[in-house]
Amino acid sequence: MLVWLLLCSASALHAQQPVGDTLRSPTFGRRPPPVRGIAIDERLAVDLRLRVGDTIQIGATAGAPTERVHIAAVYERRADPAEVARREYRVRLHLDQLQSLLALDDRVDRFAMATRGGAKGGTTDSAVARINSVAFGFRAHPSRAVAVASSRTFRVVERFHRAIGIITVVASAVFLLCLLLLSVEERRRDIAALRLVGLSRTTVVRAIVLEAALVAILGSMIGAAIGWIASIVVNSHYQAVYRTPLTFAMLTPGIFAFATSLSLVLGIGAGALAAWRLVRTPPLALMGR
Amino acid sequence: MRLTLATATLKRHPARTLLAILGIAVAAALLLDMVMLATGMSESFRSLLLTRGYQLRIAPKGTLPFDSEATIDGATAIVSALRASPDIKAVSPILGATLSILAAPIPSSFALGLEPVVQGDYQIVHGLDMRETGDVVLDGVASRTLLDRLGAHIGDTITIASGLDAQLRTSARSRRVVLRGEGRFFYVPDETPVLAIPLTALRTMLGERYRDRMSLAMAESRASDSASVEGVRTWIERTQPRITAISTETAIRQVEERLSYFRQLAFVLGAISLGIGFLLVSTLVTLSVNERRGEIAVLRAIGTQTRGVLLQVMLEGAMLTSAGVILGLGLGVVSAQWLNGILRDFPGLPASFDFFVWSAKAAWRSLALLLVSGALAGLLPAWRAASIPVARALRDEAIG
Amino acid sequence: MQPALPLIRCQDAVRTYPMGDAAVTAVRGVTLDIVRGEYVALTGPSGCGKSTLLHLLGAVDIPSSGLVSVNGRETSAMRDREATEFRLRHIGFVFQRFYLMPTLTAAENVELPMAEAGVARRVRRARALELLGYVGLGDRSSHRPTQLSGGEQQRVAIARALANAPSLLLADEPTGELDAETGVTLLELFARLNRDGTTLVFVTHDAVVASAAQRVVRLRDGRVVSDERNR
Repeated sequence: MLVWLLLCSASALHAQQPVGDTLRSPTFGRRPPPVRGIAIDERLAVDLRLRVGDTIQIGATAGAPTERVHIAAVYERRADPAEVARREYRVRLHLDQLQSLLALDDRVDRFAMATRGGAKGGTTDSAVARINSVAFGFRAHPSRAVAVASSRTFRVVERFHRAIGIITVVASAVFLLCLLLLSVEERRRDIAALRLVGLSRTTVVRAIVLEAALVAILGSMIGAAIGWIASIVVNSHYQAVYRTPLTFAMLTPGIFAFATSLSLVLGIGAGALAAWRLVRTPPLALMGR
Repeated sequence: MRLTLATATLKRHPARTLLAILGIAVAAALLLDMVMLATGMSESFRSLLLTRGYQLRIAPKGTLPFDSEATIDGATAIVSALRASPDIKAVSPILGATLSILAAPIPSSFALGLEPVVQGDYQIVHGLDMRETGDVVLDGVASRTLLDRLGAHIGDTITIASGLDAQLRTSARSRRVVLRGEGRFFYVPDETPVLAIPLTALRTMLGERYRDRMSLAMAESRASDSASVEGVRTWIERTQPRITAISTETAIRQVEERLSYFRQLAFVLGAISLGIGFLLVSTLVTLSVNERRGEIAVLRAIGTQTRGVLLQVMLEGAMLTSAGVILGLGLGVVSAQWLNGILRDFPGLPASFDFFVWSAKAAWRSLALLLVSGALAGLLPAWRAASIPVARALRDEAIG
Repeated sequence: MQPALPLIRCQDAVRTYPMGDAAVTAVRGVTLDIVRGEYVALTGPSGCGKSTLLHLLGAVDIPSSGLVSVNGRETSAMRDREATEFRLRHIGFVFQRFYLMPTLTAAENVELPMAEAGVARRVRRARALELLGYVGLGDRSSHRPTQLSGGEQQRVAIARALANAPSLLLADEPTGELDAETGVTLLELFARLNRDGTTLVFVTHDAVVASAAQRVVRLRDGRVVSDERNR
């Protein structure tokens, strides 16, 4: 249900009869009924320049009777990915006040329940089962099931990012292999000379692999630093665009460990392949003779 | 001769050349995908919005179509005023609501109240279109999803209801509907069951409050150029202060704003892949040129101009990039289909909307950019190689 | 009878080039005239400046001071573009390491200078085959350098050097990478070229090889120490 907010400045308020104040009320005409407080979200407060203490009129639809309320609090919305792109405003009222405003009598959209056993699966499931066995016209669902169903958008984005990640890793692997092979081949005469003076294949391979591993580790460090800076930029940008405290990008120790391990494996693999190609060729052939 | 020499040089190290081509192909594929993503959403959305030729959407003030549950009151007067305008060819009012389906495997369906003659929301794929007959039993057009979930077929009759009290199992109003046809609904997600019935019937079902309401309307301007459409839009907003008129361009801009993340991602990844492609070709050409300093010195000694050496080396870079781009084209189309399939899973996405859309112009432009950058990537190392004094290069080779 | 005008005139040529922090003077004031049709060997110990002098004579390098002219044109004053064009049309080069393009066939290697000079494909192909026949490799035109022996590769290099019918053929240690027997065969080819009218100047550190030439110019420490005729 929409709650239309009609902003009136306090000074322009009509001396209109507040809802609930009838002829038979002992305070009729002498004392206005207490003005109840509501909470509005930060976005609404900023856009309509509202502050705690301001008085406004709210109504269910345009043209419907309104109720005078004051702003008791301004709250920050949760970092919910499902709500990121939505630009709606939110307000919070006491349940009975909203029911009265919307002429809903004793109706609600849903209940939220906390069981004594907490979020343990067994306690919640048995509560859900007991409720559903006697429910008439409604059903109970564990919160985690609702979360799964409502997070589909987020999961699609996650899958997309994973796909992009896979493509990027494959591309990086190809580039790394290509560049490492080229740079090792460029030094083939040096390697041939080392082999001719007596260094074994194993020593040569070990040296190249070690070099590749060091390059991979150094590259990972630099990449992680760039990624960390990028995540700060991304978060500050999208938090401003979508006006949300949600964190969009995060570099965790786990991600860092995974990226470093992967680049190390790729680097060592590429180095080993490049080295193997060289050492299997006779040194004189490497010299071009 | 240059082509012969360039081809022979690339064939000299087949593994290296193949790997470089593969690297460039991956860069090209990624660049192509990002271009398709950057342009695809707006192209797809534009094509979706103009499916039936309606260039304007009319929604409750300050909202986007079906963005909220708000409806427009006084719909009849607004629609009449719009139809009276000589600049407007057609107006289709639409009311959306959720209706219960009695004695059915699924409890409810999204319902669209439409005027069949002017509707632009669906296309009949099987059976017949609905008619406004005034009969007690209504005509309806169902989506494939609704038919499957109901286990129903064209010609079957269902009972729809509004104001259902789940506890008392009573409804305020109910009507029987004959499913005359199956429709492909353009703006509704595939997984959402949809039933289209005549607008007047839906209004009646929803009660007095909705007697003269609509969720939105679509309007078609007689002149289709953007200036005329904008003129009509401005006129609508000026004469109808309680509604917002949105042109196709505005709607696309607003959707792009919401999906700006994907455009920005596309730009960043596209730029990175272009840079990587450049770096790869540049490195390959540099190493190749370094290896052939002696040959290049001899070419210069026997009379090849600096320009000739430059052209030769750039030609090698361009050939590598061309081969990579051709392979990348195929890879890019395949990966775009994969990525599009992932994003199409977004809930609430219209059935006809795609994220990755092939645009020949944009694709060729981006791949040409990669080709040019590949050729230029060879420029600096080639220039450095050709600029080394011949005698010094020959001397260095003699020492080496 | 008036003496023949020199094909190559070298007057007080000096060439100094930097080597790290120091400067090395490889050629110190060499004056040398070579007439058309001569067969000259430049010889001397390693590091005496003979290859540097050859580069100066062939317009590959520019003297730090002094004058070099070939065929009446002052090559020492030419800019790179002009010098390159001059080398293409008037000078043929043969190198110790052959420097054939390993990815091209023998015929294609010989065609290279002609392609650069803009000769039509059919014409240059015919001339390449003719030149390979001249050097005794008519049946090896489609072989790649890796399929040829050292001596055969050097003969392909000579054919390449003759591609644009130059007035002067310069060779830097042409027998350096060859065995003695192959070297002799090569020198016989040089002698034949000279008899057919080609002016030849080659560099060698081997006195025996040098003795195959008509005239031997000996260098030491960048200077000419003797200039003798063999026959």
